[in-house]
Amino acid sequence: MHVILLLLLTLPLAAAIACLRVPANAARLVSALTGVVSFALVLALVPAAAHGTVSYLRFLRVDALSVVFLLATGFLYGAVAVYSVGYLKAGQQPHARYSRRFWIGLNIFAWAMLAAPMMSNLGLLWVAIEVTTVVSALLVAIEDTDGAAEAAWKYVLLASAGLALALLATVFIYYAGAHVLGQSYDLGFSQLLAAGPRLPHAAVELAFVLAVLGFGTKTGLVPVHTWLPDAHSEAPTPVSALLSGSLLAVSFYAILRYYQVAVAALGSRYPRNVLLVFGVASLLLAMVYLFGQRDIKRLLAYSSVEHMGILAIGVSFGAPGALAGVLLHVLGHAAAKGNAFMGAGVLVRKLGSKRITAIRGGLDVLPWSGPLFILAIFALGAMPPFGLFRSEFEIVAGGLDSRSYAVAAILVVGVTAAFLGLAGSVTRVVMLPLAGSAPARGEPSGWMVVPVVVGVLALLLLGLHPPAELTTLFGRAVTLLDGRTS
Amino acid sequence: MSLAGPVLATTVAAPSALAGGVNVIAVGVLLAEFGMFRQAMLRDQVRLYAAQSALLSALAVVVAATRHLPELYALAGLSFALKVVVVPIVLHRMLRGIGVIGGDPRWPAGSYSGSARSGSTDIAGSHALGVASAVLVAIAVAAFGFFTVAALGLASPVLPATALSVSVAVILVAFVLMIVRRDVVSQAIGFLSLENGVSLTALVVAAGLPLILEIAFLFDLLVAAVVFGLLIRVHHGRAESMSTADLTSLRG
Amino acid sequence: MTADLPIPVVQFCQVVTTAVAAPGVSGVISRVEARLQGRAGPRILQPYYDLAKLFRKEALAPEGSSWVFLAAPLAAMACYLTVPLLIPVLTTFGLPLGYMGDILGGGFILSLASFLVALAALDTGSPYAQLGASRAKTFAAITEPVVLFVVFTVALVTGTDLPYALAATVRSSAGQIIRPAHLLAAAALFLVILYETGRIPVETHTGTNEFGMIEEARPFEHSGPYFALLRWGSAMKQLILYTILINVFVAPWGLASTPGLLPVLLAIAALVGKAALLGVVVAVIDNSFAKLRLFKITEFTAAAFLLAVLGVFTLYLGGG
Repeated sequence: MHVILLLLLTLPLAAAIACLRVPANAARLVSALTGVVSFALVLALVPAAAHGTVSYLRFLRVDALSVVFLLATGFLYGAVAVYSVGYLKAGQQPHARYSRRFWIGLNIFAWAMLAAPMMSNLGLLWVAIEVTTVVSALLVAIEDTDGAAEAAWKYVLLASAGLALALLATVFIYYAGAHVLGQSYDLGFSQLLAAGPRLPHAAVELAFVLAVLGFGTKTGLVPVHTWLPDAHSEAPTPVSALLSGSLLAVSFYAILRYYQVAVAALGSRYPRNVLLVFGVASLLLAMVYLFGQRDIKRLLAYSSVEHMGILAIGVSFGAPGALAGVLLHVLGHAAAKGNAFMGAGVLVRKLGSKRITAIRGGLDVLPWSGPLFILAIFALGAMPPFGLFRSEFEIVAGGLDSRSYAVAAILVVGVTAAFLGLAGSVTRVVMLPLAGSAPARGEPSGWMVVPVVVGVLALLLLGLHPPAELTTLFGRAVTLLDGRTS
Repeated sequence: MSLAGPVLATTVAAPSALAGGVNVIAVGVLLAEFGMFRQAMLRDQVRLYAAQSALLSALAVVVAATRHLPELYALAGLSFALKVVVVPIVLHRMLRGIGVIGGDPRWPAGSYSGSARSGSTDIAGSHALGVASAVLVAIAVAAFGFFTVAALGLASPVLPATALSVSVAVILVAFVLMIVRRDVVSQAIGFLSLENGVSLTALVVAAGLPLILEIAFLFDLLVAAVVFGLLIRVHHGRAESMSTADLTSLRG
Repeated sequence: MTADLPIPVVQFCQVVTTAVAAPGVSGVISRVEARLQGRAGPRILQPYYDLAKLFRKEALAPEGSSWVFLAAPLAAMACYLTVPLLIPVLTTFGLPLGYMGDILGGGFILSLASFLVALAALDTGSPYAQLGASRAKTFAAITEPVVLFVVFTVALVTGTDLPYALAATVRSSAGQIIRPAHLLAAAALFLVILYETGRIPVETHTGTNEFGMIEEARPFEHSGPYFALLRWGSAMKQLILYTILINVFVAPWGLASTPGLLPVLLAIAALVGKAALLGVVVAVIDNSFAKLRLFKITEFTAAAFLLAVLGVFTLYLGGG
């Protein structure tokens, strides 16, 4: 097990370093391979984490909760790395420098996101997430357009400011812990949980709110989501997919860690209420913005805000069913949003515009990606038989279980409306016949189709029959989140 | 004939010399923040940041000496090296690279209409509010931070609680700075000084934070500063100005 | 040791010292300023010669001006002669008339004087004098709250707002000096003094740039003995403000603790020395900074306001 942890922590970084030196072709190959291997490594972690905690070297600690988020990141890393090979080939960027920078950035970005859930200590968790910010900001800026420069600046400024609040949360949680554990403890997560009930309340409350606000900035919770649509729409598509499916999830993971400590210290009422407020706000605001959106990638970005809202609401329900639904939702969202962005990327590449009113006839020119994109949107809208249907069903059922009828009703209405907004725009893009001169029918690159097909298969698997190992993993993670048994 | 005696009972007793000194340094950090808030010239803003960081290092030394936390000496040294020397130099280099430092300070925008748009060095006109309103808003926000944190009753094991309130005021004023100033350099400095505010908080309530974590935080800051510098260059390269007033194409 | 002086004499000495030493302090500042600029500079006693010359000259009043124009210099001088009774110029102990007014009272009398001068300036109908008067009043709208906040700080620290009490508190321990509230209040007061005495960065003291003038523009139309009184008055105002800063806030040492002749003489010497030292500091500042543009002066006064407010805040937090 320990070898796997070490490999996960070193492989992507090694790939990034390799990309510095090797020729462009090799860089592609190395990165794609590293992505796929990383996902395989995470899969190998599942059985062990489903039954206990794996710790190594004092600063690595992986439990069931971490592995859920590692799975989302690992899957997208693999898919996006493969997809990017085609994306760069099909693009008009002949620059060797561009692709070199892209590969280096992609690998470091993935490395930081894989490292974050493995950290045993809230301080290092913050460091890892801050690294994701700076790397991804450069990746957003890589396109070298006015829009990209603007988006990157807003992103790095807002996300860094948010993370400064998260650092403040780290400081206050340290203060709370030092009260009980003495001046010499090192923010270790297990220590904090063990000391839970004795932690001073004021400090933990402050730290939790700051953490939700700070990490919430990167999760894209309303009202601190404002960078998100800009960055998602201006970044290169593979990066958008990673940002949306994986980065947001990893930041949410950080919130969940603070949630665990807060539940241990304060009981579940206070942290759940905080998450509920942010969750409902995100869901409702995103729903509004999904209607009448003109940019296809911004459309998907607001859909991410909506889904993060669903996650927060699900956690705030607190029922075990809802928590299991939240974890499934993380995986389902990673796959579905990854697919949607990758599909949108193909459309944009083929038809040369991001404007919803300008793109037409996706089905006519793209024999594979057109239908796959529709499937991805249906999956995002929680249509059966995809994974998100199961997860949202579980979340709503959990909400009814915990007698939050009103919120459950809001959730159902919000999700439905969001689906209508999303589907309305997307069907126009794909179904309406092409006007004027059409590009030749055909896929830009096979590399850009395979990962999407894998994603659909994964979504089907999650929706129809989640593997037994995964169910055990979720069960374990739910007991961790629940706070009653740990 | 003595007048020292007959004073009212409501006086505020003087803090101990140590607490007083610590509070003075903390207030100095806050004043530096206000200075950056109003500063009109790039170079001076970076200098103020360096001065603020130097005050923080001095505070770390005071804590290390009086509370017997030897690893804080190392932190103070490292933080001095990074925040007082390296980060300002990096910023200077990057700004000089795009030719916005080194010339004569331009007239602030708005006062002499001819140079309002042409002066690429000028960040003086980047205020979204007038002097009086800006300072009043900042004072109000700082007061909010002061008194809410004081009301939480978080007692520090090593430093007077006033320093905690001051640090939160620094953080809030840094936010106001980033909101009110509409140029990329001020906003970057705002973020860096925001981090200084957090460091001050950490020094007050979490002086025992493990050195290795502190070092990780510091290097993270360095990386962030470099990335900010890079993006400033990207922005300047595209917009030919430091102003963020034109960053409005992405909305909805 | 000689016999004690009668208390009224000591009190009288406060006024006389201020009145007599004031032009000298101005002389020191101009001299130092000139030396810093590499000029030989005027004699330190030059202001006395100037005053003597002005007193011998004929007085003229602009056509159409009323009695206010001629009464104002005299009334202002009377104000400046009153204030030294209230503040610790020479002694650590309160003199009988010292209880007539607190810091606020002294502030009121100083403001009254400046108001009268402004009134006289308005009475002349001269555009420059009016400009100076209106500007002075505009910026005073910010500096006066600063003075109020400084007084609040003093009141919170000592429980009273008698200047003697604060000086005694400051002398009592080192902790009283390095507390942030005290330093902030002293700094704010210093900035106000720079403004009130018309120093860089607010205005050039010796310039001929009428557009930037505030304090200097007001006596534009006065001449002869009246002008002399105004000049003397502003020198006295400067020394009074310096005295408040030195003997109440920054360095309340060297004062006479008994009404003996020797201590009082020493105190006079100490006061003149300290004021001259402060004058040197001001001269250095004069030479190191550029004058602010008129619209930037709000920034300067806002900074003073900030310092004063922060001083009160820290006190309310209990850590000041």
